[in-house]
Amino acid sequence: MNYQNQEIKSGITLHQIQTENYKTNLYAVFIATPLKRENVTLDALLTAVLRRGTKNLPSQEQISQKLEMMYGASFDCGVEKTGDNHIIKFYLEALSEEFLPKKEELIEECIKIILDLAFNPLTENNCFKPEYVEGEKKNLAQIIEGKIDNKSRYSYDRCTEEMFKDKPYGLYKFGYVEDLSKITPESLYEYYKKLIENCKIDIFCSGRIQNHNIKEIVQNNENIQKLQARKPEYIVNNETTEEENNNPTKVVNESMQVTQGKLVMGLNINETSENSRFIASVYNAILGGGANSKLFQNVREKQSLAYTANSGYVRAKNSIFIRCGIEIPNYQKAVDTIKQQLQDIQNGDFSQEDVQNSKELILASVEGITEEQDTEITYYYGQELADQFVSIEEYANKIKQVTKEQIMNLAKKVTINTIYFLKD
Amino acid sequence: MKIVESSKIQEKAYIEQLKNGLTIIIVPKKNTKKKYVIWGTHFGSIDNHFIMPKTKEEVYIPDGVAHFLEHKMFEQPDGTNSLDTLMSLGIDANAYTTNNHTAYLFECTNHFEEGLDELLNYVQHPYFTDENVEKEKGIIGQEINMYDDDPGWQLYINAMDCLYKENPIKIDIAGTVESISKITPDVLYKCYNTFYHPSNMTMVICGDFEPEEILEKVKSKLEPNENQGEIKRIYPEKEQTINKPFKSVKMEVSTPIFMIGFKDVQNDQEESVKKHIAIQILLEMIIGKSSKLYQECYKQGILLSQPDFDYEFSNQYAHILISGTSKDPQKVEKGILDTIKEMRENGIDQEHFERISRKVYGDFVIEYNNVGDIARMFLADTMKGVQTFDYIEQFETVTREYVQNILSSIFKEENKVTSIVEPN
Repeated sequence: MNYQNQEIKSGITLHQIQTENYKTNLYAVFIATPLKRENVTLDALLTAVLRRGTKNLPSQEQISQKLEMMYGASFDCGVEKTGDNHIIKFYLEALSEEFLPKKEELIEECIKIILDLAFNPLTENNCFKPEYVEGEKKNLAQIIEGKIDNKSRYSYDRCTEEMFKDKPYGLYKFGYVEDLSKITPESLYEYYKKLIENCKIDIFCSGRIQNHNIKEIVQNNENIQKLQARKPEYIVNNETTEEENNNPTKVVNESMQVTQGKLVMGLNINETSENSRFIASVYNAILGGGANSKLFQNVREKQSLAYTANSGYVRAKNSIFIRCGIEIPNYQKAVDTIKQQLQDIQNGDFSQEDVQNSKELILASVEGITEEQDTEITYYYGQELADQFVSIEEYANKIKQVTKEQIMNLAKKVTINTIYFLKD
Repeated sequence: MKIVESSKIQEKAYIEQLKNGLTIIIVPKKNTKKKYVIWGTHFGSIDNHFIMPKTKEEVYIPDGVAHFLEHKMFEQPDGTNSLDTLMSLGIDANAYTTNNHTAYLFECTNHFEEGLDELLNYVQHPYFTDENVEKEKGIIGQEINMYDDDPGWQLYINAMDCLYKENPIKIDIAGTVESISKITPDVLYKCYNTFYHPSNMTMVICGDFEPEEILEKVKSKLEPNENQGEIKRIYPEKEQTINKPFKSVKMEVSTPIFMIGFKDVQNDQEESVKKHIAIQILLEMIIGKSSKLYQECYKQGILLSQPDFDYEFSNQYAHILISGTSKDPQKVEKGILDTIKEMRENGIDQEHFERISRKVYGDFVIEYNNVGDIARMFLADTMKGVQTFDYIEQFETVTREYVQNILSSIFKEENKVTSIVEPN
């Protein structure tokens, strides 16, 4: 395998992926912490403030100039929800040294910069620079208010919020405007110090790295040396303990100026036995995975009700989200058609060929993991957060073993948790 | 086969024009699992008036035909849909229509042969009936509604409306519900017979292939085709001035979005690669991440992220576009104009130029990370009459003096337009 991981200190892990598929090397640092209402806004603001400057490169201008000199290396950071964890992600991408017009050392420099950005922020009088914090509070408020701009994304986020009301996964990853005002440069810095003492830290290097001793570079980095070993606080992604939900379906309607209605349905799988996530994955592909799926064929092709009609499986929450863009008066017809598809799968109204096609679809994306640098990193990070490691080959094998009967049995346990509709 | 090479990035392209006129470009990528084939015709939304080569008939077609035709190509006489057939093999297939070309593509790790067969078969065998054309009008009508709700798309179309009086680039690619209502099988067949002739098409293949072998395979599957003469496309005369300087609409967005355009009235296709590189460098210098202007706007909270910018060109149009989100678009615009004036009067700073050149060079190399990106790039460049490797190979010829010239000849205030979408 081209992948290996090593513990640097307790709670801090280095992951290396050797690959020659790209012109670039990709570096990533992930910080995992449990999703909590009182922390989401702090986490989001933190990423914005950290990218403003480090002790060595104290302004965004200097960071950008430095990266431009490194042949357009690019840096970004942000927050993501993965299961019940909030992940602060830092990425740095730079050309592999062999594609530079003249010989230069870039690998050590990249590792130094990304670790600086995460762990060596610019401070003044033992807190973050007030100008940066105040500026970023305003920017973040605009980003949060901007969530209505993308109607499809907004509808999806709102359905998630309603489905996981008062639970960690229902939180909005960028946080809440009303929580911003009470954050000060001091309180944010206090939060940051505690966070990096207790969080789970994972460092990834991918690309043409075979001639470098990456472990040594990371171990000797002064930011890493300053960090203590820890027993990291995060939610292990345990595949067999997701709670069941059998409440009646919640229906939420919202109005906005739109010509096309956005319908999102959140489903609970309610099945947690071993390997059920692989069955759920095939179930989802049959339901709404591609052009052969029940949703695409029946909602879009046969009835012309929608331009988009698909479903996505959120593995870490064992949930499926169905998403359609429909003409507003067709709401009831679309909901009925979708319910019929769920019923049809329960009744076994799908062929062995459908099962095979759906597996092919999943297997193609599994095989494609090693062809996209960030996807490969995300896959291994997912394994790191889970309670057991599944290699890409094992993953493909488990998908191949799913049977029609298993899919029908799983379908019987699926319930509609929430129907969300955005209309005019 | 003709071989073109870029030794700097260790890539080669094999190019062959077949007897029937079809151009095939093969870009081998050792050790990648993904294979990508894209087959494009030089027929886009701007080609709405032409003379058919065989019958010499002059034809005007309704807006949206190229895109409509793309949708209909998948349908087969036996009731199957080629998109479904490909998907059922785990092959990711798609198609798209732009201003100047239409493309059919697929990407896979397995079942490549079957995929290639299907692609070659469906693109060579149209099947349009009154019934299947009518049905499609409902689906495309939904797609048009989706664009109507998309502030980003409205922003772009309004910018085109400002830049051009008559040029068909200002027409919505999908047409309108009204214009597509006029589409009939006869219109589709006329366009198919004219524009889907091999001499008007290019195929790009990227993946782990032996060029000779794959070339023979494709050749063996092509239908015989009589030569047809040149397609005479009729466009309105090139316009030397803009249509109007400003257009603003209100939609449901949280913060205004803006697009500033500069029309390149001297678009003569001479040195278009060099010019494109120079414009890219200039845009980075004016409003890129490290620019004074961007940093200033960021501090003031009037830009939250770096604006997008691009130079779009073909023989029929050429313009620079800068777009972003800002609560004060006028101020951003003034900043851009002031910066251009300052750079024009005081000359371009050498250190700044060299740093940005490194970045832009790196950006071009990164395009070669992925088989899909490579294939799409070669196809789009071929449609523009451009050789893709030239962006790497000609890079060094772009000097500060040349860039300074481009700055004074293209970024002119009289050729500038502004499109804005404001909140309700």
